[in-house]
Amino acid sequence: MGIRERVATLVAEMPRVPEFPSQGATLFVDLQRRETQTAYTPLPVTRTVLASRGANMYYLYRLLDETLAPLHPDIPLIFGSGLLTGLVPSAARGNCTSWSPESGVLLDANAGDYFPSFVRMNGFDHIVLYGKAPAWTVLMIRDGVVSFEDGAQYAGMDNIELRDTIARDVGGTWKRNLAMVNITRAGENGVLTAGIMAGPKAIYARGAPGAKMGSLGLKAIVTIAPTRELPTAQSYKPYNRVIAQKLLETSVVKNALSKTGTPFLYKPSRLLGAMGTKNNQETTWTDALDAEHFDPFRPGMEGCFRCPVNCRPLNDLHKAVPGKYDKGDGPEYVTLGKFGPNLGIDSVESVIRLNNICNDLGLDTASTGSAIGWAFELFQRGIITEQHTGGLALQWGDAGMVEKLLFMMAARAGFGNVLADSTRAVENGHYPAEALKYRIAVKNLGQSDPHDARILKAFALGLAVATRGMDHLRNRVTLEINARINDNPEFKRELYGGPVSAEPTSYVDKERAVRACEDIYAVGDAVGMCRFTTKLFNSPSLPGLEEFREQLENVTGLQFTAAELERCGLNIMGVERLINHRLGVRRKDDTLPDRWFDEPNPSGPYKGEKIDRREFDAMLTRFYEISRLTSEGVPDDKFARELTSALGIDEPKGLSPQVV
Amino acid sequence: MAITVNFPAVLHPVAGESIVVRESVATVGQLLQALERLKPGIYKELDDPLYNIAVNDEILLHAVDSREVHDGDVVEIIPSMAGG
Repeated sequence: MGIRERVATLVAEMPRVPEFPSQGATLFVDLQRRETQTAYTPLPVTRTVLASRGANMYYLYRLLDETLAPLHPDIPLIFGSGLLTGLVPSAARGNCTSWSPESGVLLDANAGDYFPSFVRMNGFDHIVLYGKAPAWTVLMIRDGVVSFEDGAQYAGMDNIELRDTIARDVGGTWKRNLAMVNITRAGENGVLTAGIMAGPKAIYARGAPGAKMGSLGLKAIVTIAPTRELPTAQSYKPYNRVIAQKLLETSVVKNALSKTGTPFLYKPSRLLGAMGTKNNQETTWTDALDAEHFDPFRPGMEGCFRCPVNCRPLNDLHKAVPGKYDKGDGPEYVTLGKFGPNLGIDSVESVIRLNNICNDLGLDTASTGSAIGWAFELFQRGIITEQHTGGLALQWGDAGMVEKLLFMMAARAGFGNVLADSTRAVENGHYPAEALKYRIAVKNLGQSDPHDARILKAFALGLAVATRGMDHLRNRVTLEINARINDNPEFKRELYGGPVSAEPTSYVDKERAVRACEDIYAVGDAVGMCRFTTKLFNSPSLPGLEEFREQLENVTGLQFTAAELERCGLNIMGVERLINHRLGVRRKDDTLPDRWFDEPNPSGPYKGEKIDRREFDAMLTRFYEISRLTSEGVPDDKFARELTSALGIDEPKGLSPQVV
Repeated sequence: MAITVNFPAVLHPVAGESIVVRESVATVGQLLQALERLKPGIYKELDDPLYNIAVNDEILLHAVDSREVHDGDVVEIIPSMAGG
């Protein structure tokens, strides 16, 4: 059955009118035939997995043909906004989902800025794209009316130029009535670290969604419409004030996020000896990159639609390094880590400039930094030489070389073509098999953040089991780094629903904390809440299930208990694991880089710490047990039946043994 | 006895300050009590999951109050958070 038949079968089962107040339609877009149709996510699906990331998984499960390849035009690319997106403070986010050409497992990336909110104001909660456009295309959504525009004149443009040109051509104003998601040259060229830009810096980053969008011949989706209120079940603004107050009174927001942003984390990571340095060969780096050194280059802060936090630092380098890349947004902690210590770079100005270049080129800084760091170590070890690099000498700390490599990657030119294959460089014949030993990746996805998790075992487990690959934003038990919480066992028990060892290096009960975080973060994604302001990620005091439940009732009229919402989080993980199972993922893939098992942490107060294979395996087994997964990491029979029944989807075939 | 405590720029009302505690204290817990006597209200400010404590650049993740401190130590209050 081809994609059109799959879509037709699906749409035939879907309601033609909204199932609840504020619900937007799902827009199905056949890019090849330039046809669209709409329907609404069925209520049982919403009750089981909510929207955005959750409903995206439902659509992917229904439409996926795993006998194809990720970049085949019959593999859909799906955008979704959360149930509270655009309506609730700090809920400005949406997810983008497909089958990743980078990792080979599910692709699911999250972004904020304005597009996820503005697309809802045009009447759409989800967009399902498939078929290859006959020529570069821009999908225009103007006051809810969809049209296919010629995109040839935009081909070859990167983010800065494209945003300027689109604003001029369309006539709208960013942040007021105009929003866009778009690819750059990197996406056009199928670079496996290419994201989909959602703003000057905002990016659907992980898993190469830019390459996927490029494979469909889609340059951009543009929305233009005045902001408007969505019809809601009842008044929700009074409770918005409660949420906003909760956000702004929380110390991490008030004193850190809204003033400096995420680079604060650099210092504790380097002091801990957990700062991934030179592709994790080392674990600490210079204090020259501590957050306060970015202060002189930060003229202000920006934010997403209707978010009171404004956590995104702007940068201005024009006095230090004038030119095209002397201003921009960021860097976040991930970019600071990946383009600072990970590459042996110790200059604030260099990190900011490389950040600005990545934002223009539409590159995921996590995967891009990982690919470059991996290559540098291979060169250091002589596993690759100038014969592989086309005469380029790859030396740690050479920011000029990194800059050159970024442009080569985006163009797939010379050695950039190798780097553009990201984690697949061995599989694609560029590097010898020995190189895999030094690759810091899980499920073929390079590590998202630079934190070396040999110390904190809960962090390590989270990175191993994250469904999209090695990424901390799916389940990071961040509060494990906080002594105030570790030293209060009763409070910690309350946070995670049971005891969790206070010792960061212990394996005891860490699975419980990962499970709790994975559930609440999945719910946060599905309602559109920012991870930074979701309970447990940065603070125990931020909005969580109780606040989501209250606003879901106000906005949609749907009633959930906090426990039911938590179950939605588990359900989302369950569907993701069913999809991954179809893509060949098994227990062996829920693991960590060899380096973390085999090489002791070389520095800091936890020098000598590494991951014990036997202890890790036992912790993984416990994680599977409390997650209702089989020994192969897929929903057990009862859980799978519950999911398929609730979602009205086919029973998965060939699930692994039930013995845990 | 003298233990220097450095505060981050974000922690009011001691933003960016260094305070020298000269009382005789043996642990971080006692040091925090001594700080409270010098700067009333600071103990409550520090009872916040945003802040970690490092002694001589060793960041403490648990068992903080019982951690020994000695004459000449430098203690730093470090904001800790997660990012993307």
